[in-house]
Amino acid sequence: MSETITQQALRALVDEWIGAGTKVAGPSYVKKDLCQYVPLTSSAELLLEGFIHPRNSVKDFFFPRHEKIYEYTLKGHEVELADMTPASTPQVIVAARPCDTAAVAILDAVFNWGEKDEFYTQRREAATIVALACVTHDSHCFCTSVGIGPDAEKGADVMLLPLDGGFEVRCLTEKGKTLFAGRTQPSDKTAVIPEGPKVKVSPEQVRAALEDYDNPLWKTATLRCLSCGACSFTCPTCHCFDIVDEGNAHGGCRAKNWDSCQLCMFTKHASGHNPRNVQGQRQRQRTQHKFRIYPDKFGEVLCTGCGNCARNCPVSLGILGTLVELCAEMPKTVGESK
Amino acid sequence: MSNIYMPDLMEVVEVKQHTADVKSVKIKFKDPEKQAKFSFRVGQFGMYSLFGEGESTFNICSSSNWKDHIEFCFRKTGKVTDALWRVDEGDTIGFRGPYGNSYPMEAWEGKNLVFIGGGIAMPPIRCAIWYALENRAKYGDITIVYGARTPRDLVFTDELEKWAEYDRVRVIQCVDPGGETPEWKGEVGLIPNVLAAANVPAGNTAALVIGPPIMIKFTLPVLDRMGVLAPDIYTSLENRMKCGVGKCGRCNCGPVYVCKEGPIFTMEQLNALPADF
Repeated sequence: MSETITQQALRALVDEWIGAGTKVAGPSYVKKDLCQYVPLTSSAELLLEGFIHPRNSVKDFFFPRHEKIYEYTLKGHEVELADMTPASTPQVIVAARPCDTAAVAILDAVFNWGEKDEFYTQRREAATIVALACVTHDSHCFCTSVGIGPDAEKGADVMLLPLDGGFEVRCLTEKGKTLFAGRTQPSDKTAVIPEGPKVKVSPEQVRAALEDYDNPLWKTATLRCLSCGACSFTCPTCHCFDIVDEGNAHGGCRAKNWDSCQLCMFTKHASGHNPRNVQGQRQRQRTQHKFRIYPDKFGEVLCTGCGNCARNCPVSLGILGTLVELCAEMPKTVGESK
Repeated sequence: MSNIYMPDLMEVVEVKQHTADVKSVKIKFKDPEKQAKFSFRVGQFGMYSLFGEGESTFNICSSSNWKDHIEFCFRKTGKVTDALWRVDEGDTIGFRGPYGNSYPMEAWEGKNLVFIGGGIAMPPIRCAIWYALENRAKYGDITIVYGARTPRDLVFTDELEKWAEYDRVRVIQCVDPGGETPEWKGEVGLIPNVLAAANVPAGNTAALVIGPPIMIKFTLPVLDRMGVLAPDIYTSLENRMKCGVGKCGRCNCGPVYVCKEGPIFTMEQLNALPADF
């Protein structure tokens, strides 16, 4: 037995949420061939099939690319500050890919350790995430290599699994149950989800390969990297940011803006010294952060295998390729012996 | 609900120019209650804001025993410090902190202390020196080796003279060869060489070395030959930071978030880290 909903009923439900003032976001074609997670004004914009992975990720709705953290007004020697912590407005993310919802669960750790980042946590607490299982994948997908899968439930409040003409609905949390209460029909059909992409690397193997800090691979394999940051900006788990002032002589705001460890100024000291002066060091940092530093600190790999880094890279240099190359160099036993 | 990026407003109490491009600034909380409650440990740092220009990271270079103000020191070298250069008494700036770990002043009790600083590195050492002198009985002999390119690049020179007057304190000042002036009475030479020639007794010693990477690199072998062990040599990693609270992902050195687990590390800890600094 399972609970199901027809596509039509789901769209009606989405329109109801929008009508009730809830902020709703989901995948949509913003222009020809460009599918992104965007705020929706109607369920007609929502994509429920026929796409692999949007070009951005759902982190945009918890950790926006630009956000004011406070405003300041200058009055002679005096300064007035106005806190801009967002009010907790309910939001629903619908049809999020499992690799994106898992990423949000992974990001919770960094935004909550020690001091809480209220900008993230407020939005997170007020959000309900409805995931949509994948029935197809492309050559960039590698979720199964990092412990996620086409119907992984991590981070999701509800999981929708495509069935003929509708979806099997699995409500996983109280939030999810509330959202779909009375909207699903019992059915004897259960969805069958394909296995997903073939496993290409294992996090343990990558972790072991990363022990070799001076691997010449970082010099050779990353030569074509343009240092544009597209991989980080579209990555569901990359969360580095900058803090800058934007204003004039009278006032303005201080803002948190996305930043990327791939950009050359990222770690540059005022003295001119730069600990990560060349692109190879920056690529190494990104991989180390995802497969060694974050797992050691927070217990989870900072990558969900969505493949966006490769999909959006102007020189086809996704992290998967680097990982495969890194592990190929290793004697097979190293990863397994750990 | 609290905004962890929100600074406290501070009043500039005093600005002092040390060299052609270094100033130190005394600030106090506008809210007297916050000033009374504020405490930190020497070695910790803060995020200082000039609204409209941005935020920068500096050590709190005053002693934690001074309750009516805190101090920071900077070299005019970028957007924020260029703007801070224009700050005057009575102006308002922002402050977040204190952040990071601190010098193990308790663990250093009963030990001889060697402070070695190059150029603009004196401020983060100064707070520890004052703290040790204010608790003079708890520490053994104190040796301060401070060098800069020329006599005009030395900061807190008036305090160097004061420190030398304390019991069991030796202050060695030096300038780089070629940087000396006819009036210069201190040593001439690079810090590692001056330290090697100074005959500093090294038994039961903790050393704090802060300065440009090249200075630290050549000072370490000298300390090693003197017999100071890696767990007893401390330094401060001054990585670029933005948030100060382990979120923005900028300051890590290998697995270590410098803003949370640093900035103070022993050489033993640094030797275990990848060369990412």
